[in-house]
Amino acid sequence: MRAVLRWTLTRLLIMAVTLLGTSVVIFFAVRQMPGGYESVVLGPLASEEQRQAAAERYGLDQPVLVQYWHWVTGAVQGDFGISLVSQVPVIQELALRLPVTVTLALMALSAAVLIGVPLGVLTGLRSTSRSGGALGRTVAGLGISVPEFVLGSVALFVVSSVASCFSVGNLASLSGEPATLVRALVLPAAVLGLYCLAATARTTRDAVMNVLVEPHVTAAVARGETPGHIVRHHVLRNASVPVLTLLGTITAYLLGGAVIVETVFNIPGVGSYMVTGLGRHDYAVVQATVLLAAVAFIVINTVLDIAASLVDPRVAAAGGRR
Amino acid sequence: MRRLDLAVLRRRPGASRDPLMVAAGIVLGLLCLLALVAALVPFAGSPTEISGPRLSPPSWEYPLGTDSLGRSLLPRLLEGIGVTLVVSATAVLITAVLSTAIGIVAGYAGGWLRETVMRVVDVLYAFPAIILAILVAAVLGAGRVATVSAIVLVTVPLMVRMIAAQAATVAHRDFVTSARISGVRLPVILYRHILSGVGGTLAVQGTYALSVGILVEGGLSFLGQGVQLPQSSLGLLVQEGAVYMVAAPWLLFAPAAVLVASILSITVIGDTLRDRLEPREVRSLA
Repeated sequence: MRAVLRWTLTRLLIMAVTLLGTSVVIFFAVRQMPGGYESVVLGPLASEEQRQAAAERYGLDQPVLVQYWHWVTGAVQGDFGISLVSQVPVIQELALRLPVTVTLALMALSAAVLIGVPLGVLTGLRSTSRSGGALGRTVAGLGISVPEFVLGSVALFVVSSVASCFSVGNLASLSGEPATLVRALVLPAAVLGLYCLAATARTTRDAVMNVLVEPHVTAAVARGETPGHIVRHHVLRNASVPVLTLLGTITAYLLGGAVIVETVFNIPGVGSYMVTGLGRHDYAVVQATVLLAAVAFIVINTVLDIAASLVDPRVAAAGGRR
Repeated sequence: MRRLDLAVLRRRPGASRDPLMVAAGIVLGLLCLLALVAALVPFAGSPTEISGPRLSPPSWEYPLGTDSLGRSLLPRLLEGIGVTLVVSATAVLITAVLSTAIGIVAGYAGGWLRETVMRVVDVLYAFPAIILAILVAAVLGAGRVATVSAIVLVTVPLMVRMIAAQAATVAHRDFVTSARISGVRLPVILYRHILSGVGGTLAVQGTYALSVGILVEGGLSFLGQGVQLPQSSLGLLVQEGAVYMVAAPWLLFAPAAVLVASILSITVIGDTLRDRLEPREVRSLA
């Protein structure tokens, strides 16, 4: 248990360092973007006095480090500044868009967990048989080889040419009823879900195959335990760590906004907010959305690393070595 | 009573007899060859010339139909394959060199040096691939340079991590210790002993990175932040095709099929390489 505690503390420390580094990278990368705060707000014809007034208003006359400090302390309190283009606080827009992205993420994630994991276990258990091996390789290979924008476009094509029961690209009201939201998200969630499902099946299959050859499984077989018992007691728990890690990566990716799928299907989520923000050089929006995606990734991964050490204490016993 | 398959099989390394691998190799080779030949001898016509009716379906004259401006799709597709492959391969080459250098040194040295490298890598790793790519394109301005840099930044973290881990394992082997004791200089140890030890990892990760590269190029170009018109790339063609998909579905399906075929064959090759270079035992429990 002491190992687990030490592991947890190390993970938290690493998380803090990574968060700090990430925020610095985002802040300075966004400042390297062409154009400038004042030009975005005032347009190219503004006078020198107007520019100075704007610079003062947005705190651009202060040293960069002070600006960074203001941004980070604000972000921690949920204040991401004001959109340069719409002049509305970024957090207001995010609050409208986050539920859409979260719903989409949950729908896609459930496909990964409910279909991907069992499929991976099954194909992993039968990896040496002809049909099991081929099925596993094909599902995993195809799923990760069809890019989302291809699958999304093809899905749109199919639905638009066949009479459709899903509404597509029609999410005009952000605060619609939950049922409408879910129905509008079925198709994009299926596209995202297929990708997540395939990646999950692939990792699960690999993990199961790795556990199956361990001596303790051989011993269980020698003791005469039934296959079902062996799978439940010896295989699943040991194979769960890499799967957990992958599910964390997928969740973070989905929460950061499935940028491409949201663009293809015209969904007003966090990802499309980032893309429009970039197109309009809206720095405040870009900073906020990218930070959100990165923080989601870092926090979720840390939580899962700690969870992994609880599921499989060997993770913590191996120490900080990864 | 269900059968328990107790025998532990070593996967045979006969990759050349694996039909999936052979098919993947043929597909990828054919695509490269077609793109190369088309770049040298424009046998299918010019990719930029406006020569026919707009959105005409596939015909003898225009084997894959024409696009919204009346350009024949086939030469554009061939150019797109070339651009996509060259951009991704260039990026992966840069990634491979960078990650090998960093990974070997960090993995061999270990200690605080490796920790520092890993923390920096963690920061890069925290950005979802496409978001990192968009950010790079926003800073550098959309285009080929941005696309290559984006692919490098997306693929470097994982490869550095894998190579450093492998290098750390090799560094503890007896032959490395004995080389060190006999006074072999550090660069020689790194070059002769560690580098050859990470070769397999490099090949496998490089192959996977190539498919990630094609994905990133495609996604970036699809969002209009990657390769710019009038040049074509697979992602750009898919995006154009998606716009006209109802009137001219061939514009979507031809580049999409090529894109999927190339990524799929690279993934299959990567999987086979991994099974071959990092052999492991397999067993069925059914």
